[in-house]
Amino acid sequence: MLSPVNVSLESLNLITLAPMLIPIIGALMIIVIDLFKGGLDKTLYVVISILFLMLDFGALMDSAGVFSKDGIMLGVFNVMLIDGLAILSQFIIVLTSMLFIPLAMTNKRFHEFSYPEFFALFLFMIAGFQFMVSSDNLILIFVGLETASLALYTLIAMHNRDKSFEAAVKYFTMGALAAGLYSFGSMVFYALTGSVEINQIASVLAANDYADIAYVLVAVVFMLAAFSFKLSLVPFHTWAPDVYEGSSAAMAGYMSIVPKIAAFVVAMRLFEFLIHSGVVWLEIVLWILVVVTMTAANIWALVQTDVKRMLAYSSISHAGFVMAAILIGTTQSNSALFLYWILFSFTNLGSFSMLWMSRQKHIPNNQMSDHSYDKFAGMIKTAPVAASSMALFMLSLAGLPPFALFWGKLYLISSAVTGGYTVLALIMALNSAIAGYYYIKLIVYMFMKEPVVGNDGQIYVSNATLALKSIIGFAAVGTIFAFVLLNPLLEFITAFVYNSGY
Amino acid sequence: MLDHILSILIFFPALAGVFGFMIQKDSMRAYGVAVATIEFVLSLVLWYTFDNGVSGMQFMENIPLIPSFGINYILGVDGISLFIIILAAFFTMIGIASLTDTPNVKNMIITLLFLQMTMIGVFSALDAIVFYVFWELSLVPMLYIIGAWGGPMRIYASVKFFLYTFTGSLVMLVGMLFMAYFFYQATGVWSFAILDWYRLILPESFQLWLFAAFFVGFAIKVPMFPFHTWLPYAHGQAPTIGSVILAAILLKMGTYAFIRFSLPLFPDASAFFMYPIAIIAIIMIVYTAMIAYAQKDVKQVVAYSSVSHMGVIILGTFALNVEGISGSIFLMIAHGVVSGALFLLVGVIYDRRHTKMMDQFGGLAHVMPKYATIFGIMMMASVGMPLTINFVGEFLSLLGFYQQSHILTLLAGIAIIVGAIYMLAAYKKMFFGEVTIEENRNLPDVNKRELIALIPLVLITIWLGIYPKPILTPINNSVEAVVQLMHNKATSEEAKMRIPNISGVVITKTTSGEAH
Repeated sequence: MLSPVNVSLESLNLITLAPMLIPIIGALMIIVIDLFKGGLDKTLYVVISILFLMLDFGALMDSAGVFSKDGIMLGVFNVMLIDGLAILSQFIIVLTSMLFIPLAMTNKRFHEFSYPEFFALFLFMIAGFQFMVSSDNLILIFVGLETASLALYTLIAMHNRDKSFEAAVKYFTMGALAAGLYSFGSMVFYALTGSVEINQIASVLAANDYADIAYVLVAVVFMLAAFSFKLSLVPFHTWAPDVYEGSSAAMAGYMSIVPKIAAFVVAMRLFEFLIHSGVVWLEIVLWILVVVTMTAANIWALVQTDVKRMLAYSSISHAGFVMAAILIGTTQSNSALFLYWILFSFTNLGSFSMLWMSRQKHIPNNQMSDHSYDKFAGMIKTAPVAASSMALFMLSLAGLPPFALFWGKLYLISSAVTGGYTVLALIMALNSAIAGYYYIKLIVYMFMKEPVVGNDGQIYVSNATLALKSIIGFAAVGTIFAFVLLNPLLEFITAFVYNSGY
Repeated sequence: MLDHILSILIFFPALAGVFGFMIQKDSMRAYGVAVATIEFVLSLVLWYTFDNGVSGMQFMENIPLIPSFGINYILGVDGISLFIIILAAFFTMIGIASLTDTPNVKNMIITLLFLQMTMIGVFSALDAIVFYVFWELSLVPMLYIIGAWGGPMRIYASVKFFLYTFTGSLVMLVGMLFMAYFFYQATGVWSFAILDWYRLILPESFQLWLFAAFFVGFAIKVPMFPFHTWLPYAHGQAPTIGSVILAAILLKMGTYAFIRFSLPLFPDASAFFMYPIAIIAIIMIVYTAMIAYAQKDVKQVVAYSSVSHMGVIILGTFALNVEGISGSIFLMIAHGVVSGALFLLVGVIYDRRHTKMMDQFGGLAHVMPKYATIFGIMMMASVGMPLTINFVGEFLSLLGFYQQSHILTLLAGIAIIVGAIYMLAAYKKMFFGEVTIEENRNLPDVNKRELIALIPLVLITIWLGIYPKPILTPINNSVEAVVQLMHNKATSEEAKMRIPNISGVVITKTTSGEAH
């Protein structure tokens, strides 16, 4: 005999769901519009997506206001957890999505943008990521992760090239494996502690003083592998370059930022308490993972002949670099993670948009691939503004001051220094020097080589529209003048991270 | 206006560079010369209003940049940096004025103006991060100058230059972050201000590690043996203007940073590492002098002689007393003038013959008497003949080090004499004897544009060689303050003994208000 369940609506605190529901409503609306009248232009859907993302942003501002007044919010049977990390990462997710979606307004026609489903899936994916970051319930995290990932696989496949199918299937297979590993890890944690809430797991484990350390380690191994797949950490990175190559440059740029910040936040929630409770083994494994990811990915990037693959490896290396923040685990390092990722998203937005702008439908004979280095030879002579902005993004990625990413690197390395990881700090610094080579290589091609005969610079801007140009201009201004906004940004992030207890 | 003269000096050329994009190609050179002249006049105004009697920082500016992390835009000059700033403005001016026909002259001049911003920024920054920003930023224009206008191996040379320096400075950055962290631990606030760091006394073991971290960055820039291998490539491939700026100003960043950072921040470590560094410096002087003798390319001779002279500067710096440090700063300026002039002179002959191989010349003194005379004066100055500018610096540097070690100074002195051999040999090969190659018979002598660049350099060389006091006095004042600071901060017995106590020197702390 079941007793009736009485739940008052107030205790559910449904307002915590608002930011996620807005993009879902937007996605449904796009589908409904298509139901009534098909064949509408992509510009409509782009603008509708942007409008809903703006609403989403407004809802987030609201949550941020509540958080800074009342602290952490729980809702919906305490499954939702709106803390500083959730809000910060959702800001990054929504803002980056807002900046990436106008890239659909290209000059050339592309298959995927003629379907409204593309934009619906895009918004569903954002909702999935938002769920993923604003919960410490392993099941809800899983649901959010899978919603987002399945949508993302489809978005990649919709690019409708042989390579993009390959990329989508590869990503899907690897993602499925990661999902399996994730559920195994959660299972072991549940078996150990009888809970799927991370804070419960933490307190139960602490209460019995990590008696079952062997099982904890098993669970951690599964979780670590799952997140390494998602964050493309070496040796779980093998999918990344192929997937980046296969998907459109806009999508690749998006993938290098948004899914990763979501995964970082979950990893931070999960691994932070383990590191702080002295699971030395995890610390050592993470240390090795971080160092190998940074260094190996950098070395692979050196030998790439295609700029997009180079940027894929560089993203892997940056992910490893930022993973160091989770290893260090101080308030400063966790703030540095967010700061770094915001600045990184600006720079990567710019560089991938540049590639997207020069997308060729037919590859000429002298080029091995769409974005091979030779394509950019002598770009300064034929398209000086485009070449200068590309160089700017490369210098920023290399960590040259005073451009955006330098400040992220500075703060992150400083957090390694204050956290007592001296050797790690040095390795991080030296890796930036290795990375310098392949970024400079592109600059060398652009500025110091002669253009290929017959190249009048048109190919670099063949896909350009006002929308794309403004996005790149926005990214460029953000990259150059990052230092102006750095102080308020840093104070904001630090306050949010600190008040969430990280 | 004078309150912000340093900011104006830094950002005026950059802003002018941005506007330069609007100028028509044929008028670009005149625009470049005009901007650089205004900049030079401004730097002279700075000198004119500079108070020689004050040893501390003047014309200070302070704007918060990231106050929560202790990064502020702080600028200031003292006697140590003042003349290097003027030198940078001067060389950019004559560099642009003497620019020969270059493809893409517009891009070149804009790049030079940006380079000038970074150079002046480095020498006037008083915040470690701002210093680092300009220090790193200076690599980009130089990368472009070498890589786009250089010789056949220009890409290899430019990338090597960039990566070498970039790696070194990243290690230095970690050192800076540690320094800021120690400051945070000691005081509870983050600060990257150099003047704040001066007040921090560190235990000797920390000093040694931090000194090493900074040393990597500075030593690559100087470049000190064994990190010097990028320099011959960079000089060999760079266009004339690139070599001139590189030798005259960019290399001085390293030696300047030793005096600004390493010595006052880590006095014990400086005393501890004095002998090893002195030995490296002497190896630099002797070894590169020997390599220079073996070169067939006259530009490489000048390049290696440059490394050799940088060795003397390092030796003077690590004498750790007023004579040595003042001498090394004076020698920085002297070396800037002389090696800059020598690279310009090599450029003159390269423009005419498109070769730099010495066996292609011979007997040039008959064909180009004016050129031979100027080259001769500069060569004598480079060798360190009395009554030329280099002599003053070398003499003071060695005099300073003589107080620390007689044997090493003797070795260095002999090395300098040996160093004279390759210069005289090179001069003999190029200028004396019969004209053996037919093409050389009708070479035109130096023209007006080249004279505009060269004559002032000759005048400075002789004027400051005879009467160095106008610039030696302010240098001396500031150096005395630094040495006194080092003596006060030193904790180890050895450092107290090595670094003299200058009694009776009044250290005047100034604010921007008092300075003028």
